[in-house]
Amino acid sequence: MRSVVDGKGAGIDGGDTLLAFVDAAKGQDADELARARNAVAEKFGPEALVDAACVIGNFERMNRIADGTGIPIEAPLAALTSDIREELNLDSFESSGNSGSLRAGAKLLGLVLRKLAPTLIKLRARFAK
Amino acid sequence: MEQQVFAFAAEPAGPRPFAYSDSQWPMRADLVEAHRSSWESLRKPGTWWTGAERVAIAAQVRAAADCDVCRERKAALSPYAIATGHPADPLLPAAAVDAVHRIASDPARLSQKVVEDTIAAGLSDGHYVELLSVVIMLASIDRVHLALGLELEALPIPDSGEPSQRRPERAVVDAGWVPMLTLGKTKNSPESDLFADLPIAPNVIRALSLVPNAVRELRVLNAGHYMHEKDVGNPGSNGGRALERRYIELVGARTSALNECFY
Repeated sequence: MRSVVDGKGAGIDGGDTLLAFVDAAKGQDADELARARNAVAEKFGPEALVDAACVIGNFERMNRIADGTGIPIEAPLAALTSDIREELNLDSFESSGNSGSLRAGAKLLGLVLRKLAPTLIKLRARFAK
Repeated sequence: MEQQVFAFAAEPAGPRPFAYSDSQWPMRADLVEAHRSSWESLRKPGTWWTGAERVAIAAQVRAAADCDVCRERKAALSPYAIATGHPADPLLPAAAVDAVHRIASDPARLSQKVVEDTIAAGLSDGHYVELLSVVIMLASIDRVHLALGLELEALPIPDSGEPSQRRPERAVVDAGWVPMLTLGKTKNSPESDLFADLPIAPNVIRALSLVPNAVRELRVLNAGHYMHEKDVGNPGSNGGRALERRYIELVGARTSALNECFY
């Protein structure tokens, strides 16, 4: 999980290659970006490279909607992810102020529900097929 | 800034945009269509801005990438520490140019002041939401091109006509800084199509609903860049992409972290 803020150590095959691509795509070094791009194409294939670039573009858009309208994170999601946000220090982001703070009860409920989350996600995926 | 002169045309002349004839990467047909759809809507009169003004907003997004004022502001402790304005745009009020540059170059430090300043300059909240919708369209499509090492697409020739100025009656401020619709409030209204196929309307989708066409444009682009919303809620689906879902989310999460976006 920390790899998302650290930019390395994804712990899944090829994850760091993708993280390096995101960093390069958001950076200013054209040579670095070309290297990172080719590494993704080599590891995952050119179609997947296009998909990865599109996902970066997608989040450039969605992040700006959130930051440009001051929307809060939805309450259920806030409760379910409070410990993760704390661990990753996401509450230090300026836009975290748009979401306010969670009440202790909601935080506790979120932690309990998180234990059930893997099972619920698997069920959701199975019934969606 | 050099004055921009636009020719008006009912139909864009020349080759279709986003031909990708010199791309070494395989561009999906649905992606190409999503980009073309965005470009077509960009050049048309919107709800609050004319086609020429919408294209001018798009040009300002690109100008922000190489803007000294934006660079200084981004380095400053406070985003409002640098008062110097941007070069004037013949088609846009200064407050609109300022909002475009802030959203494009320093989104993580936006505050309600950006909306208040826009309204204080005599524009409406609808102007602001539509301006935001154009900025995000440009910022995202350009980022895809830059990431793939492709040339940026030339901006389209604006179409003539006046903005509709149609404001959804049921939009209210219930989350965030601007009025928006809920799933329930779109029922039996001209906006009934906006979220009809969704079990819930997340804040990030309904945030632009003060300008309903902005939501329609957004959803087309979301489907091309990410996946159809029906697939988003299913963790077992990657929307038919070549990249596995876990990798898609890794890329998205890292992008959001670099953007310091809490949402």
